[in-house]
Amino acid sequence: MNPLELTLGIMTAVGGFVDISELVFAAKAGSIFGYALIWVFALSTGGIMVFGEMSGRVAAVAKQPVFNLMRHRLGLKLGLITLFASLIANLITCAAEVGGVALILRYLTGAPYALMAVVGTAILMASMWVLPFKWIERTYGLLGLFMIAFIAALVAIHAPWGKIAGGFVPQIPHGLSTKELLVFAYFAVAIVSAVMFPYEAYFYSSGGIEEEWGPKDLPMNKITCTVGFGLGSLLSIAILASSAQLFGPANVGPELLGSSALEVAIPFGWVGLLIALLGMLFAISGAAIETCMANAYSISQFFGWEWGRHRKPWDAPRFTVTWIVLFLAALAIILTGVDPMQLVEYAVLFSILVLPLTYLPLLLLAGDKSYMKEHANGRFAKSLGWFYFALITLAALGALPLYFLTSGGQG
Amino acid sequence: MTPSDPLKVISQLLDLPLIDCNGNYCGIVDDVAFTGGAGKEARLEALLVGPGAYRGRMPRWAMWLVRTVAGDRLTRVPMAKIKSIGSAVELNTAAEKLGLHAVENRVRRHIPRVGAM
Repeated sequence: MNPLELTLGIMTAVGGFVDISELVFAAKAGSIFGYALIWVFALSTGGIMVFGEMSGRVAAVAKQPVFNLMRHRLGLKLGLITLFASLIANLITCAAEVGGVALILRYLTGAPYALMAVVGTAILMASMWVLPFKWIERTYGLLGLFMIAFIAALVAIHAPWGKIAGGFVPQIPHGLSTKELLVFAYFAVAIVSAVMFPYEAYFYSSGGIEEEWGPKDLPMNKITCTVGFGLGSLLSIAILASSAQLFGPANVGPELLGSSALEVAIPFGWVGLLIALLGMLFAISGAAIETCMANAYSISQFFGWEWGRHRKPWDAPRFTVTWIVLFLAALAIILTGVDPMQLVEYAVLFSILVLPLTYLPLLLLAGDKSYMKEHANGRFAKSLGWFYFALITLAALGALPLYFLTSGGQG
Repeated sequence: MTPSDPLKVISQLLDLPLIDCNGNYCGIVDDVAFTGGAGKEARLEALLVGPGAYRGRMPRWAMWLVRTVAGDRLTRVPMAKIKSIGSAVELNTAAEKLGLHAVENRVRRHIPRVGAM
């Protein structure tokens, strides 16, 4: 295991962990429920660690990405349903990320939102065209480390560490009305969805193939998933905790994406604001690319096309056309004028509905000895996998009723 | 596994990706073709690749949609062209020689070869 590669891998996982939905829901959750939802972030981070590790292991051992094997395992019809469901979830998520990029570029430049959406998408597409996979992953992941400013801000405002530590204990706040309890449950479901977005496993597994992982990379896969995702999750928790400390007592509802950046601006002034906005810009840009690539990977792998950005764009022509069309589709959604914050709600809702469909085949594949041989899921991985599968199924069943009962978390 | 080993067609072969002798993906085993008939020995003759092979595996309305979007191309890959069967079917021939990269090559012609690292 190359220590430099490992460090870079971990840092990339940290910087690439947060996306627009985590930013929005962490800030809102902190302002409404204080520290009481920290444990949901911690719990669902465990889920993405478990399934991320499995998807990386499948890629390293079976040498095939998850969607190739998924079609073999599920067959054409069920495979197509899974493909279609994940495509819609990822496209809505990608559009929300593109909207987020446009919003932050607007904050930074003052230029019109629609123009910034076009410029932002053009820059994202250009970077995908020019850079090979490793550079794309590293560039956006490492630049996303500007987000560490949120942890520095939490330290600077003298956060109540005892209360934050208490938030890691599973709890439901006392004295909530039935309506507030439903909103709490809605936020819990939304956080599970935002942390465990389906595109993450597809992107991670395909990335493993792009970087030609083999069984020798399994320890690195395990460390990247646990340490990288774990530290990345601390960024979301810092956003939640700062919001609980700064916005909650002042009755400020951080409804806008830019509200989160104020958490860093309050202790560090305009320099802090700039660093926070840059961190958010790179983190959301990285997520936009990941969602778009995850969709292009899925389609190409399902139909057996050449794929991957370790190849030149013309060496995987249908894959290239697919990601270009998907980026343009995400931009078109944004240009209809739909509110990106509303898209975040839809992305989270739709993703949780398809999450069980996404992760069940992965769980079965990782436990299949005919593919995985001695690297198949052991008892511990199997138990964790089924526990998290039960959790996301429960969350999926509750998502729609909670969305309608709480008017999308409004109460 | 080699092509001469006993094979459970559906669970071991159907819907596996195809990789040619140059390591390029070149389709999925969408269906299989047998020779023989009732009362005769059935022999696996070829792998069928392309949307045309979805017929019989999907409802009629979905098949109409597939035909409209992707056409009904069908390429036959003789069993003699298979090198091994595992988590993918590896072929001993280049995709172009089997007619498996026709669409890929057609699309490639429209992609400018500039600017990518």
